Amino acid sequence: MGEFEVHRVRFFGLVPAGVRCLACQPRGGRLALARTDGAVEVYNFAANYFQEKVIPGHEARSVEALCWAAGDRLFGAGLGGEITEYDLARLCVARSVDGCGGPIWSMAANGSGTQLAIGCEDGSVKLFQVVPGGIQFERNLDRRKGRILCLSWHPSDTHIVAGSIDALRVFDVRSGQTVQRIMVNYHVQKVKRECIVWSIAFLSSGTVVTSDSFGRVQFWDWERGTLLESHTVSTSAVLSLAVSEKEDSIIVGTSTGATYQFQLLPVKMGSLEKRWVRTKPFQHHTHDVRAVAHSSTALISGGLDAQLVIRPLMEKMQKKGYDAALRKFTFPHRRLVSCARKARLLLFQFSQHLELWRLGSTDETGKDGEVLPLCRMPEHLVQLKSKGPEHIYCSCVSPCGSWVSYSTASRFHLYRVQYEGDGVSVKKV
Amino acid sequence: MVAPATLRVVRCGGSTLHGARAVFSADSYLLCASGDFVKMYSVATEETLRVMGGHADLVTGIQLNPHNHMQLYSSSVDGTIKLWDFMDGIPIKTFTVGSKLLALYALASSEDSVFVVIPKSGERDTFQLVSVKLTKAAGQDLEAKELSVVLDGVDASPKHIAFGREGEYVASVKEVNLQVYFFKQKQLNRFSVSAMKTKSGNNHFTCIACHPVEDCIATGHADGKIRLWRNFYHKKEYTFSTLHWHHDTVMDLAFSIEGTSLLSGGVESVLVLWHNESDCQKDFLPRLGSAIEYISMSSDGALCCTLHTDNRITIINSNLRFSKSIQGLIKSTDVKTGLVVDPRTKALVLNGEPGHLQFYCLQSDQQLFSLDIVQRQYIHQAGLNQADLVKVAFSAQGKWLATVEEREEVTDPELQLKLWFYDEETQSFKLNTRINMPHDDHITDMCFRDMDELEDDSLILVTAGRDCVFKVWMMVEDTDPEAQQSVSWSCDFVGSYHNYQATNCCFSEDGSLLAVSFEETVTVWDSVTWDLKCTFCHPPGKIRNICFGRLTCSKYLIGATDYGFLCCWNLLSCALEWSAHLNVLVLQPDPLSEHIAAVSWLSKESSLFVFKPNEPRPIYIQRNLCKEKIQLAAFVPRDEPEMIGSEKYLWLRRSQLFFLTDTQELMTLSTKSLEERLTPSSKQLAVEESLPVTPFSLLLGKHRRQQLQEDIDLGKLVRSKHEQDSPAVKELLHTPAHVLPSASFLCPIFINSLLISKDNKSAEEVADEVEMESEKTEDDSDEERDVTEMEHEDTSPMELLGEMTHKLSKSQEKELRKIRKMDYSWVSAF
Repeated sequence: MGEFEVHRVRFFGLVPAGVRCLACQPRGGRLALARTDGAVEVYNFAANYFQEKVIPGHEARSVEALCWAAGDRLFGAGLGGEITEYDLARLCVARSVDGCGGPIWSMAANGSGTQLAIGCEDGSVKLFQVVPGGIQFERNLDRRKGRILCLSWHPSDTHIVAGSIDALRVFDVRSGQTVQRIMVNYHVQKVKRECIVWSIAFLSSGTVVTSDSFGRVQFWDWERGTLLESHTVSTSAVLSLAVSEKEDSIIVGTSTGATYQFQLLPVKMGSLEKRWVRTKPFQHHTHDVRAVAHSSTALISGGLDAQLVIRPLMEKMQKKGYDAALRKFTFPHRRLVSCARKARLLLFQFSQHLELWRLGSTDETGKDGEVLPLCRMPEHLVQLKSKGPEHIYCSCVSPCGSWVSYSTASRFHLYRVQYEGDGVSVKKV
Repeated sequence: MVAPATLRVVRCGGSTLHGARAVFSADSYLLCASGDFVKMYSVATEETLRVMGGHADLVTGIQLNPHNHMQLYSSSVDGTIKLWDFMDGIPIKTFTVGSKLLALYALASSEDSVFVVIPKSGERDTFQLVSVKLTKAAGQDLEAKELSVVLDGVDASPKHIAFGREGEYVASVKEVNLQVYFFKQKQLNRFSVSAMKTKSGNNHFTCIACHPVEDCIATGHADGKIRLWRNFYHKKEYTFSTLHWHHDTVMDLAFSIEGTSLLSGGVESVLVLWHNESDCQKDFLPRLGSAIEYISMSSDGALCCTLHTDNRITIINSNLRFSKSIQGLIKSTDVKTGLVVDPRTKALVLNGEPGHLQFYCLQSDQQLFSLDIVQRQYIHQAGLNQADLVKVAFSAQGKWLATVEEREEVTDPELQLKLWFYDEETQSFKLNTRINMPHDDHITDMCFRDMDELEDDSLILVTAGRDCVFKVWMMVEDTDPEAQQSVSWSCDFVGSYHNYQATNCCFSEDGSLLAVSFEETVTVWDSVTWDLKCTFCHPPGKIRNICFGRLTCSKYLIGATDYGFLCCWNLLSCALEWSAHLNVLVLQPDPLSEHIAAVSWLSKESSLFVFKPNEPRPIYIQRNLCKEKIQLAAFVPRDEPEMIGSEKYLWLRRSQLFFLTDTQELMTLSTKSLEERLTPSSKQLAVEESLPVTPFSLLLGKHRRQQLQEDIDLGKLVRSKHEQDSPAVKELLHTPAHVLPSASFLCPIFINSLLISKDNKSAEEVADEVEMESEKTEDDSDEERDVTEMEHEDTSPMELLGEMTHKLSKSQEKELRKIRKMDYSWVSAF
């Protein structure tokens, strides 16, 4: 073995962005993830949950909801009020359409992937037709006050359920009328606090599942407007909810970082009566779990602590192996650091700026594992701010350290760095 | 049956209740396995109604007969299953299985078999669950040899097996494994939790309960978690959720009757009610006194009961309200105080709950009250040294109580001597003086000077300590005007002898002499001048016990030494009178006679010797008193001297001897047989209260009252006593319906009993025999009846005394009552 000097680089202060939402491709093997800085990532289940694609964020564009429609087209909607379609080949925004309803809080595609519904700040639910080469506004559904925080289509595409503050509403898609309105807050007897329905799901049996800010997961019969079951899982809010494709398992994420699984289990052996039972609790996150997804073999959760956790369901696994292991994506799976070997420089990439550092050096030698005293401290040479609202996609420094380049989705920048004694000057080429 | 002349050892309390879960009968009785017996308590009055004995060893399981709720199965280590009629306390059948039975389960779905846990033959510490076919043959003693193994490798504890909904499956846990066997499918599923030891302890299974209507199994674990298993008929897709509140082992679990809630208990002595199997909705019933061992539910779901490690039974309402507590002799971790008799209540006084003194009533097998001595919060935590009560002494009349508490610290014990004064107003002891560090080391013994005739202020307390001194404490007038009490205690004299540790102290009967033993030597002191009078020594061996003789033998001092000698010294001649080779553990003088009881421990059995100090020959010897080691003994004075036929047992005439074994079972010696010992009043009560208020009973009562009225009108002071409880009617009402003869047979008797007999005599003759029997029982409730009669008199004073128009004075009334009580039966003879 050769001798190495190991630098402990403790000056890369990257703050990873939290996970905002997750979307599993229906019947597909891919998972789309949006972070709070607007970046969108695509993971491939088949390829060992490999991070296939990254679309960098944009200063003016946040993503509140993601959904797959018409096969493998990925749509995002955010508080900017626009619906954007991503070009997964070129890793950029293909086109965007204004929703005309203020900030968009939620979006859902119907079962066949032909229509998109968005829930807006002004309380309206709008339908868009997915057409080749874009989307087309179709109609408005019955508008009431109160922002629509979550949406879900009935698997038969005939109804939409929307969760708002203190209430949830069911729309008939064909007529566009509200056919049921259920007050969620009714059962809280204490001081009147507003109850936020954070997440909602419409099951094919007609059951509506809601998760709210009182820590409850509730099951409603939408036609009668009655509460079927209520499970209090947490003292804090339940922020996210996802149903498996078979509709026999639900995962919910809470603001304490815990996720819980609900399973639809028969009450007695061989009997048809089934009941939702809270089964497994998991505590993988340290902060709010803002997004959960349920693939056929795993529970997926993403939180504000920027972790993506994939927890395989043991009973679905045929054998123990690599597939059955718990996966945690805690750090970015991208090259954010580039090194100028000769000039002993490091270039760090942040979402909107670059930092160039000179490594510290020592003139002493020591044994393995010994900590050597530094004669020269690491030095922060340059901070380079990117121009425009787009986030930096990639960056590089030349081995001699005199060239620095970065690119955004639309532009490429090259800088020349000159060292004059202690001073450093940067010149745009 | 034992012949009445022989002396029997009778267990009279404190038997461990930990054999099995308690069982609620359908009509509000509680049945508990207690040692070798099955006890029946009334839920309404907390009283012990019946003790069913018959098993030769520990009772390990009790279950109601699922096909007849008036019958009870019980299993025992002696290898038999007994079927009882618990209302009458009669064993109906005995099935001999052969091997040890460690748990019993009865199912409604299995027609004629029960399930028991037996040790697997040929292997040690492996057990199997077998079903036993109970043959329907006639006869009392039957063999039940048809066994079929259901599950192998189960645990011996009855808490580790549970039967599921409608007997579809059986689940058993052992260490980290759960196995579920489905009877119909004949399928066995095994699950296990990871055996990993976590910070909070291991996650071994400790108990199991099955949901009554759903397929759900609840298991408790050693780390305090409760797991709810579902979908367990799939080997792979089973699932469980976790409930966690307990910080230590979950001791027992029980589902409510509908299965909507789950009860759990552990060493925290908190009962937790989980609603809807949810982690967030739970209710607590804290401060139950001691660790919960078993939880059981009544069949109507209205009550639940918890059995505690200290032999207490708590009955709890369904809304988690404490309802009643049945407490006999509370089992404390260590009886350091010895057995002391409270002179006032004649109750046995010893350590109860940690830091408390329990007053245990021997007659009713109930705790009278518990006095908090230490007055500090007890914390359930292993390895925590907490102050506990170690010594207790009463003054002669029970007016003063002295207690010593100490905290077990090896280097520097924390001691406190407390003196309590009995407050007549509040009827309880009140703290008078607290002395911190009365001795520098542990206090070994303590006694009051027992002087009945002397006044209060001459009361003297002596404490002997390991710091080589004994101290004399006296009452002094409190000079401080602001003090709330007039007297307090302070040290008067400190005595020592050659720097030996003082081990025992004892006053002579007249109080003039104090004997203090210092290791191998006994010193005798004058209690007025505190001069050392003389010393006695009988090497080798340190003195273990000393006591003075009483009454005619008051000139003798008895001492027992470590190396098995019992010595008797004459105080007048200061010489050894006699000595005997006997390894004496307990030496106990009878306060009312000359007799002294000594209990020895030789070759794993305890023997009792009773002797008088003036002769070296024992009056009575009982070898093999019991298998356990006897720790303590006490003579308890009887209320009235008992008639004892045999010369040999005369020493039991005035007091009764009680023993406490190291398993904290209280035993006594009795000349009576078991049936006699059960007080008839309790039998009476059992029936009386089970009688529902029916229109018929109201009618009957009304009729009786009328009858009484008529009697008075007639001016005949008939012994209404007898008519009120006409034996025929009583017999009719108190006998279970299924054993009664046909109604046509009963009818004439019943009608006869209701008739106001002109010829009182003939009716009497018919019922004479029965009456004689019931006579005894009536005496007990005599007083109550007087009260009712009194009321009656008040309502109709006119009719009672025709011409008397003015109100009766108190004394006259009393006089009249006396007359009424007198027997005028001779009148009817004319």
